[in-house]
Amino acid sequence: MIAFLLALLGVCLLQSAVVPRLAIGGIRPDLFLVLTFGLSLSAGPEVATVVGFLVGLYQDSLSGAPLGLNAFTLSLIGFLVSQMSRQVRTAELTGRLGLLFLAGLVSGLTTLLVLRFFQVSRPWTSTLLWTVLPGTIYTTILGAGFLAMPKPKALRRLGR
Amino acid sequence: MTRLLLRYRRGLILSSTLLLSFVLMTLQVRSQSALADLTKHILLTSVSPFLRIAAVGKAATVTLWNEYIDLRRVRLDNQLLKEETRQLRTQVGELRETALENYRLIGLLELRNRVGSEAVSAKVIGKDATNWFRTILIDRGGNEGIQRHMTVVTAEGLVGRVVDVTALAARVQLITDPESTVGVLIQRSRVAGIAAGNQEGTVQIKYLPLMADVVIGDRVVTSGMGGVFPKGIPLGRVLRSSRPTNGALFQETWVQPLTDFSRLEEVLVLRQSPANDLPWGSGERLP
Repeated sequence: MIAFLLALLGVCLLQSAVVPRLAIGGIRPDLFLVLTFGLSLSAGPEVATVVGFLVGLYQDSLSGAPLGLNAFTLSLIGFLVSQMSRQVRTAELTGRLGLLFLAGLVSGLTTLLVLRFFQVSRPWTSTLLWTVLPGTIYTTILGAGFLAMPKPKALRRLGR
Repeated sequence: MTRLLLRYRRGLILSSTLLLSFVLMTLQVRSQSALADLTKHILLTSVSPFLRIAAVGKAATVTLWNEYIDLRRVRLDNQLLKEETRQLRTQVGELRETALENYRLIGLLELRNRVGSEAVSAKVIGKDATNWFRTILIDRGGNEGIQRHMTVVTAEGLVGRVVDVTALAARVQLITDPESTVGVLIQRSRVAGIAAGNQEGTVQIKYLPLMADVVIGDRVVTSGMGGVFPKGIPLGRVLRSSRPTNGALFQETWVQPLTDFSRLEEVLVLRQSPANDLPWGSGERLP
């Protein structure tokens, strides 16, 4: 649990202090998504859902998004990734990256849908093309580095 | 009931979190609820101290990095400035040298205008290779009309006379040479004598009568006798004078030449003796 909180804190710091400097054309990678994804790969769906919810809440608190938006999305991502990790060969890096890319797209689409529900609509095509897709690609590329790193024992225990 | 819950726990947990998220969003977006704001506030408060520390750390790192970069830049600048300073010092040295040369040449030019006779300026290109003689080599010779016994001067006064001539150079015997003799006058009292060099490199006036009026500091000029040196060229100032009591007939008088032979660089060779006495300046040494 402490390891998770430390990882969450580290991601909060990185996302708010370092990632803005890595922005390319205003597009930033989403480390909260990478964290949720990384934990969900080895965690059960219940834990992954709760982890996604908590990570999302912190992401909401650090952004201008309404509280619950990212919590909703990442809960869903956590659950789905955890479920799919049993069917996809996530032991290989390419499999994990493919799943991360898919998670990024789902996350973007879900956010768009939720925003539309609350009448905070965005133009679909341009948002998908110029925000969701580049953001997902960037997150996947950056996530490759994080996912290739050996996971600390404490975080691995969290998954069991 | 418990078994049912356990069986559908995944769906329940997912539904609960999604519902909770939805409720939070609804509360914030639709009804501007204080609960959602409070939750957000609590979450932000739990992270903000670390963010602040991270921001301070980041600022410190950025400052350190910038200072390091600045330091490297300063180091590079320092090297460039050192190189520039070295070049400028060399230039200043060269310019100073040129200015001094210019100053000396102006003196020679003025002298040349004053002398009015045909004169050739020359550079000193060598000095005597032994300690037995006091001669210099100049870069003008027979090609420029230089001949033996021509008088050589500077703006300060007499230097000597040409003793050897080649096509491109000439050797000048200085007045301090032991073999040199020049007919001179004490300018104030008009007493005549002969200025001779000696082994020590000084000039002594010989054949000055015992009772001749000579005072230390008196200016000594050429007398024009002997036909080699024109009349009126300053040679030096009386340094000391004594009247021997051992029955000698002449005074012993030493002269300090006006020209500093150790720093001689340019001279003027008088190709023709001026018709009249030379209207020389104060005879003060140039810098």
